[in-house]
Amino acid sequence: MTDSNFRTCGSTGLKVHGPAELLIKANAVVSVVALLIGAIGAVLLVLTRWQAVHLLSAPWYYRILGVHGMSMLIFFIIFFEMAVLYFASTVVINARQVMPKLGWASFGLMVVGAVMVEVMMWTGKADVLFTSYVPLRADPLFYLGVILFAVGALIVTSMFFANLVVAKREKRYEGSVPLVTFGAVAAAIIAIITLLHGAAIYIPTFLWSLGLMEVDAQIYRLIWWGLGHSSQQINVAAMVAIWYMLGALTVGAVVINEKISRLAFVLYILFISMASAHHLLVDPGMGPTWKIVNTSYFMYMAVLASMIHGFTVPAGMELGQRLRGFTSGLFEWLRKAPWSDPGFSSLVFSVVVFGFVGGITGVTIGTEQINIIVHNTLRVPGHFHATVVSGTAMAFMGATYYLIPLIFRKRVAFWGLAKIQPYLFALGMLIFTMSMTFAGSFGVPRRHWDITFSQAPFGIEFSPAVDLLLGIVALGGLMAATGAFIFVAIAVKSVFFGEPLGEITRGTAMVGVPAGLTHPPVHSSNVDELNAELHQPGRSWRLGPAPGTVVLVGVFLLAFVVYFFVNWKVLSFVWKIG
Amino acid sequence: MADLRGNPGPDEPIPLGQRLFDNFFLLLIAGIVIMTVIYTAWGLWEVVSLPPATLP
Repeated sequence: MTDSNFRTCGSTGLKVHGPAELLIKANAVVSVVALLIGAIGAVLLVLTRWQAVHLLSAPWYYRILGVHGMSMLIFFIIFFEMAVLYFASTVVINARQVMPKLGWASFGLMVVGAVMVEVMMWTGKADVLFTSYVPLRADPLFYLGVILFAVGALIVTSMFFANLVVAKREKRYEGSVPLVTFGAVAAAIIAIITLLHGAAIYIPTFLWSLGLMEVDAQIYRLIWWGLGHSSQQINVAAMVAIWYMLGALTVGAVVINEKISRLAFVLYILFISMASAHHLLVDPGMGPTWKIVNTSYFMYMAVLASMIHGFTVPAGMELGQRLRGFTSGLFEWLRKAPWSDPGFSSLVFSVVVFGFVGGITGVTIGTEQINIIVHNTLRVPGHFHATVVSGTAMAFMGATYYLIPLIFRKRVAFWGLAKIQPYLFALGMLIFTMSMTFAGSFGVPRRHWDITFSQAPFGIEFSPAVDLLLGIVALGGLMAATGAFIFVAIAVKSVFFGEPLGEITRGTAMVGVPAGLTHPPVHSSNVDELNAELHQPGRSWRLGPAPGTVVLVGVFLLAFVVYFFVNWKVLSFVWKIG
Repeated sequence: MADLRGNPGPDEPIPLGQRLFDNFFLLLIAGIVIMTVIYTAWGLWEVVSLPPATLP
């Protein structure tokens, strides 16, 4: 392969392989289309759960709920992750894309599969929700669509490893791969675990839908969640890899300890997938030992990994800023950060909401005993919207603001809107997830069309506060959906009708170009001196070289402890003794 | 001397931990085996070994 297929990025100096670039673009574009479909579904859903509006009929509510889940959790996220895998295995290590035709074939499989699933769901032939639990039966084409999509994704994941092997052989990089690529390795391995479980359950279910075999409902749930939850753990690994990348691009973040960060990714590979058992905590078929071992992510090793990243990412950002000269007090590095750079603001909101809301609630409600007061209530979607949407989708949006100029070589359109989009989206999602969590605390069920239970032979009354909370859920959801629509408009306008970028002028602000590219974060000329000073023992109340992060992490741990023990207290109200 | 990513210099041996972490296929196998044994196989065994419920 000659180097004629490569171009050198004027901003980063990285070599970009043409065929890889095209595959990145195609996957990113389809991902945004899926996001648009999912966001339209989100608006319809929140306007139905808002009791005062109650927009959709029951059949359409459940139909759109399935469409929303598949479009967002599978198609939007996984197409974007395919783009991340191509990017991390070629651009980041100056390598070439092997077998690009196979890449296009797998892309075709994924698109055909996704279209089949969407058509089956929109036409009412697959009203089986995201989980498609047996014995709910969909049209066989629905299952076939999922299988085609999964096969395509599995091929891309295999090509990711092929890229790395060829890059090593061709000496495209020396030593270990960069940390961002290592994070993508973790995502790819988790993807293979996920897709193997998907094949193990969807192929028999496809045959069952044709009447050719039986599928046990309990075994379906066990294996399906090896796909359903693990697919969201691919997100976590990919999201953290993007955190490291955005930190470096926006504020010159440093990796404070390569070994620790890589160890945390390895802990994800080994232990995070078994969190799938969270969904089976009230299933009578599984024993308590299996439940506790699995839902503890094998004794909390994967939680430890997230807490490591939750410290090293902001600490690396703080250290990077301090090495640029922002050394005053605890938080000058944060005050003087580029808050108008949508890549940076997306990164910060992603880290904070993922950790404080998604992480804390996830570990707490995944505890076997506490789960009994949470299971199938709105607290569950309150949790996973904080992780997948506020965390992963927000990080992917932030990355897109850099992909548009770096890969599509276009200016980001509607630049003024792009600067406020992360704030609107993050605030909307924060309101949405918090109010959903509170509504769930009152026992409001998830996946439920009418909580007034009208015409039911029994009566259930919720606290009057629930109506208010569901109204706030809708308002937060509509705000976040507006942020998502703005993002889609920016992405579509930039990619298809955007102004070509041309040369980036360093040191001059450019409309439609993030600050990290026009003003690359460069460490001070006296960086060694600053570094030595930061590491002096006894400095900053003995909080080390990143004291601001230590304080923030302390606040996080305090919130974690309080939330965890409040839940145990609430659990004690369930069984009144004496 | 090691570089910023922790890669050893040309004359230094690569530490065992780094060699393990650089072996993606070892990590892949370890990830698949742990999940398959602890979640999937153990879970399947739990389900298939359930005694049939007696009718009331």
